[in-house]
Amino acid sequence: MFGIKKFLFGDGLNENLPPDVKSAVSAWLAQEAAGLESSHFLTRYVVIDIASDGMNPDSDRLTGIAATVVHQGIVSPEQSIYVDLTTADEAGQARQLAAFLNFIGKSPLVSYHVAFVSAFLENLLKKRLGIAFAARWVDLAWLLPAMFGEKSHKPMPLDDWLVAFGLDVGEGRRSPSENNMILARLLQMLVVRAHAKGVDSVEALIEESKASSHLRRTR
Amino acid sequence: MDVGQVEAMLRQEGQRRAAGNTQAFLARHAPFNKMAPAALQLFAEKAHIAFYPAGSLIVGPDSGNVRFFYLIESGKVQARQAGEVTVTEYSILSLGAGESFPIGAVTAGRPSTNIYTAVEDTFCYHLPAEDYLTLMSTSPEFNLFCTQYIASLLDQSRRQLQAQFAQKASEQQTLNSPLSGIGARNPTSVLPETPLRAALESMSQLGIGSMVVADAEKKPVGIFTRSDLLDRVVLADLPLSAPISQAMSASPFTLNEHATAYDAMLAMATHGIRHVLVTDHAGCLSGVVSERDLFALQRVGLRQIRQAIESAPDVEALKASAADVRQLSFNMLAQGIGAEQLTQFISALNDALTRRVIQLNLENHDFSGIDWCWLAFGSEGRDEQTFSTDQDNGIVYTVPEGEDKEALKQRFLAFALDTNKDLDKVGFPLCKGNIMASNPQWCLTLDEWRAQFSKWIRTPEPVALLNATIFFDFRPLYGKSELSDSMRRHLLAQASATPIFLQAMARNALEVGPPLGKIRDFVTDLEPDYPGKIDLKKYGSRIFVDVARIYALAAGVHGTNTIQRLKLSAQKMNIKGEEINAVLDGLNFIQLLRLQHQYLEGEPGRQGDNLIDPEKLNELDRRILKESFRQARKIQSRLKLDYQVNH
Repeated sequence: MFGIKKFLFGDGLNENLPPDVKSAVSAWLAQEAAGLESSHFLTRYVVIDIASDGMNPDSDRLTGIAATVVHQGIVSPEQSIYVDLTTADEAGQARQLAAFLNFIGKSPLVSYHVAFVSAFLENLLKKRLGIAFAARWVDLAWLLPAMFGEKSHKPMPLDDWLVAFGLDVGEGRRSPSENNMILARLLQMLVVRAHAKGVDSVEALIEESKASSHLRRTR
Repeated sequence: MDVGQVEAMLRQEGQRRAAGNTQAFLARHAPFNKMAPAALQLFAEKAHIAFYPAGSLIVGPDSGNVRFFYLIESGKVQARQAGEVTVTEYSILSLGAGESFPIGAVTAGRPSTNIYTAVEDTFCYHLPAEDYLTLMSTSPEFNLFCTQYIASLLDQSRRQLQAQFAQKASEQQTLNSPLSGIGARNPTSVLPETPLRAALESMSQLGIGSMVVADAEKKPVGIFTRSDLLDRVVLADLPLSAPISQAMSASPFTLNEHATAYDAMLAMATHGIRHVLVTDHAGCLSGVVSERDLFALQRVGLRQIRQAIESAPDVEALKASAADVRQLSFNMLAQGIGAEQLTQFISALNDALTRRVIQLNLENHDFSGIDWCWLAFGSEGRDEQTFSTDQDNGIVYTVPEGEDKEALKQRFLAFALDTNKDLDKVGFPLCKGNIMASNPQWCLTLDEWRAQFSKWIRTPEPVALLNATIFFDFRPLYGKSELSDSMRRHLLAQASATPIFLQAMARNALEVGPPLGKIRDFVTDLEPDYPGKIDLKKYGSRIFVDVARIYALAAGVHGTNTIQRLKLSAQKMNIKGEEINAVLDGLNFIQLLRLQHQYLEGEPGRQGDNLIDPEKLNELDRRILKESFRQARKIQSRLKLDYQVNH
């Protein structure tokens, strides 16, 4: 009995969730990794950025999650979502997170400094839904120096990359949604370069991301 | 709310927030910076962002119908003409951040004529075509921007037409052109032993001022001119039975047909002669070049022509002037005068010609003490003549106290008949529909004209409506213009007070629509005798003319010119300036195409037609013609709405 439950709901899906949330999350858990991923063009990438009230994932709170899809070379505001965690109560947050999971599906996720972003997400998803969130992550912070070595072969602050590419840095702080649109543009450029380098699938990209992180961290 | 509904809400919020960057970008670039926040929001939420690495194709003729309005966010894009024929003034154009393309194609939903390539790494916004059209219809600023862009395409096309004309003009006009292409070819000649009488008879018959004398092998041996007639025949008491060789100037000046116009001009100046004979390789006579032919090669000035017309002693002289008018209009077309000015200019000179013909005929017909006025109708009445226009005229007069009306009318008819015939000789063909002053129907007293107008307006039967389209566009050409003013006041008062008449006119005007196809660009099978062709008058300019007439009558506009009518009635009827300008651009383009067609394709001396083959137009012209027809449809649908016409 317990084994079946564990099988159905992964590692301990929160028992007292409302039925619609429960079924949405189980559906997400049961989902296969997104279909066609034979090239960057066909892969549905989801760019993620977060807002939090501090820098420590273990003690500070996540206040917002923004996600935008990059698919077939195109970024479209219509394919975006924003979860505002400052207004909803715990049950409300659980439902919002279920909607968020439904939106991202099992697509590979893209962010800048994945360790930071994923830690906040994993903590909250564990707390509200009881699931262990393990996504395939592509980290632009490590991939950009690997792919655009002529600009910098070390990780740099995001704005320095924007300047290096001649993109508009803008004024003041960017909201997570605005930041996502910038990250999406970087991803668009990055996959073109990656393809030219023979790194032409999402798995290869994730490998490259890990290798770069390992290489540059240990050096 | 369940998870699904929450997701929809979160997506909405996500879309709104993600649009922020785009809005900030738009706020920095014209015309977007002038657009309302709601319009910017629409753009920002709907536009995708795409990346084009340097060297990649963005959109081109092979990409099919253009699905997006492209706006460059960063980078550089090069626009290159597809194919070998250059349709715009530029062949390569570089576009940067804030610039958009391909406006013409996305508006028309057709493939792009240019190839757009990223020359640097480039980010572009893609606004889907349907959202682009929504934006066009909801944002006046955006609409103006796109309309002006298309207008500039019109402008480019006009300049390109001018370039074609200029080329043809220079081919025709240069003094370097060989004599084989100038003056009379294979002129009549007589043998040296021909009696003077016979030679003079054929000169008179042919209407020529000189006669070449050549031997049996066609080798020129002399020339005999009108001045020789005075000095060597009349004053020398030479009998008309004497052979022409006794009176001719022997050993005339000849040039080979490969010599240039310049050589001929030099010879005339050096030897003080008026004619140069042209010979072929065997030395046989092949042409005559006169001073006048060389003069025509030079740019003929407006003032010279006017003076020539006003002092012309007879119809013969006017005939030459009419040819000059044609040549001059052509030069002006080449110099880049627009259709509006050009048609008015042709009308002005044709007016001068007509007035001179009338004056010459008044020498034989005396109407002193009688108030009368020669009226022009139809295109002449609207100042819109193209190169080939036949006569449409009439007379209005008043019968003085004690004068017999019928006798007076007969005198006017006799005068009109002479005038109509002379006008025909000068180059205005007789009207096939007999709308001429010599027709008793159209030679009427002021009261008769007024009664006629009232009758047409009160009973708008098909014939009355047809007549209205011709006769209501009247203009005084010669005589007492007060009579014509009085007719106009009567007409406007009656027409604006009879809505049922205007409605009938509107219904009539809407019977023919622009030849826009549902699937193909143009419908070209409307004229069964000319498959594949479009009658630019019937299905083009006439639509504008008809609508303008109705609005002018409704708004009490006195002018007859279509452009004036549209401008003035638009003011009165609160139609926006830019809207009416787009309509006028459309009309002007169609008129320019008609002029081009009549000149470039019409055979000299033959009446040109208005039938064009859209397949033979270049891509840009085709596109603009389509847009011009759309403007025609636009004013028609406005008319339809205003007069509640339901077909």
